[in-house]
Amino acid sequence: MIKDESTIKLMIDTVSSYVKDRLIPIEEECAENDSIPHEIIDEIRDLGLFGLSIPEEYGGLGLTLEEEMLVVFELCQASPIFRSVIGTNVGIGALGIVLDGTEEQKLKYLPKLASGELIGSFALTEPEAGSDAASLRSTALRDGDDYIINGTKRFITNAPEAGIFTVFARTDSENKGAGGISAFLVEKGTPGLSLGKNEKKMGQWGGHVCDVNFDDCRVPVSAIIGGKEGQGFKTAMKTLDKSRTHIAAVCVGASDRIIKEALSYAVERKQFSKPISDFQLIQAMLADSKAEAYAARSMVLETARKYDLKKNISTESSCCKLFASETVCKIADRAVQILGGSGYIRDYAVERFYRDVRLFRLYEGTSQIQQLIIARNMIKEIN
Amino acid sequence: MKLLVCIKQVPDLESRFKPDSEGVWYSESDLAWRMNEYDEFAVEQAVQLREKLGETVELTVLSIGPDRVVEAIKKALAMGCDNAVHIQDPVAAAKDPWQIASVIAVYAKDKGYDLIFTGMQSQDRGSAQVGVMVAEQLGYSSCTTLVGFEYDSGVVTAKRELEGGIKGVVKMKTPALVTCQLGLNVPRYPTLPNIMKSKKKEIITLAVSDLLTAEPLAATISFYSPTKKGGGLVLEGEVASLVDQVIGILKEKTSVLR
Repeated sequence: MIKDESTIKLMIDTVSSYVKDRLIPIEEECAENDSIPHEIIDEIRDLGLFGLSIPEEYGGLGLTLEEEMLVVFELCQASPIFRSVIGTNVGIGALGIVLDGTEEQKLKYLPKLASGELIGSFALTEPEAGSDAASLRSTALRDGDDYIINGTKRFITNAPEAGIFTVFARTDSENKGAGGISAFLVEKGTPGLSLGKNEKKMGQWGGHVCDVNFDDCRVPVSAIIGGKEGQGFKTAMKTLDKSRTHIAAVCVGASDRIIKEALSYAVERKQFSKPISDFQLIQAMLADSKAEAYAARSMVLETARKYDLKKNISTESSCCKLFASETVCKIADRAVQILGGSGYIRDYAVERFYRDVRLFRLYEGTSQIQQLIIARNMIKEIN
Repeated sequence: MKLLVCIKQVPDLESRFKPDSEGVWYSESDLAWRMNEYDEFAVEQAVQLREKLGETVELTVLSIGPDRVVEAIKKALAMGCDNAVHIQDPVAAAKDPWQIASVIAVYAKDKGYDLIFTGMQSQDRGSAQVGVMVAEQLGYSSCTTLVGFEYDSGVVTAKRELEGGIKGVVKMKTPALVTCQLGLNVPRYPTLPNIMKSKKKEIITLAVSDLLTAEPLAATISFYSPTKKGGGLVLEGEVASLVDQVIGILKEKTSVLR
């Protein structure tokens, strides 16, 4: 749903200009240094990108999901590490509070998350609980007016920069399933909370993930999201339903950029005395990439419109995530093929994107988990 | 204090242009539109002055054209202008610079603007006439091609860019009009929160027929793409021979080695 066409168009123009003028020129440098300069983070903050999805009454822009998707398509014309800066605040790092937080929690954290003053992070995955998130082992035991959290969370995006963590832990030791899990808001600096070393990743250099350790980390009862025990897994799943569409939009933006890179190379590069874009086998790869990226874009927008109409998008968001993430990897692979040997060389952005986009088939639910969600929902509906 | 900044919406220069059916302007189909780049410098300078002088200043942005120009107006509002005037004219492109300047002057007359900012020229027509003709019709001082701007107590100090890299400095008392050149400033990106806030800012719409009193003084009689030049000269041979050939061409066809 687009509330105001001209307003969203102006936002897209602004983000598009910013991406072209500021982000694309430094993306290689950021990857090499595994760091985004502070002034760029400040500019992203000043532009207001941290607050895309946070409601206006809490200081955000309150965009509809369709509007958010259009902005994300544009932002992701640059390396995905820049989207990652805002990704957790727009998505999983803030959504738990937006969807299920108490009014007090919303007032305390959302304005700071919307402005980018505070970075949010989502701590669900554990060393022994990845795809099988419901079997997580972290515990939060009640002790008077507090809970004491123990456990380790793995591959936590933006953890080194985060000021607030949405942490999932088992509050009911008798209940080993999803119903025994609660979600907590844990602030950086809370005694007992510590970070592991930054992981050395295949791609997305400049974006950071690490372990988050909880060792007798004491938080007040008021830190439980929504104020109720046992709701955490539901909060996580609702958060992921929405955020998977966001990741799919990230894949669509990256797909468009990779296609542009491959196309501009194909029309310039000459072999057998003519541009390689004249050859039908190259054209086939370009055409397949274009058609698939268009399909992914259409799916994302359709799903976003459904979400904006307050309909359940559990199946559709998994379809988007599955299709768009698999698609962007195929498109990146074809782009490397079109560039030939150059596609394997770091001087070309395609080489970097090939590594960067591989993550999208893994996080916020692997492709296989998306398949399970889709199939289970289909079977549930027929029964 | 009252400030006015005049802007034009022009096609993105990366668009593919083709003449319209009458062959006197470009066809507007399939074009992407944006604020004239020089006008962005004008808006930025006006907003900076407004920010420096504070709340007592009212900054109005004005644009003439069809409904689509509201997009450019909204960008100026998001950059920091207080309110806007849209002079509705579906056929603004058919008017000559004198008429456009007259419309602005008729609107601005008696409004008490202390300073008017415009771009040095538009990127599509490129006449560079509208700003100075507005000043002339209003009886304002004016100064063109600004690359530096200062304001203090009713006096503008303008640094101008002249040919050959030479600069000039002009002082003018307000009321005055300045036209802004590349290098004056770096226009800000309208932030997303400011884009949202600008939705609430007032845009007054006026019909051009209520303001147009001037007859055109000039008319475009033809608009066409230049004929394609021949391909470049490809030199072949050993390096020493290539160098001799290049030197020969430079001596013969240019003044570089004379």
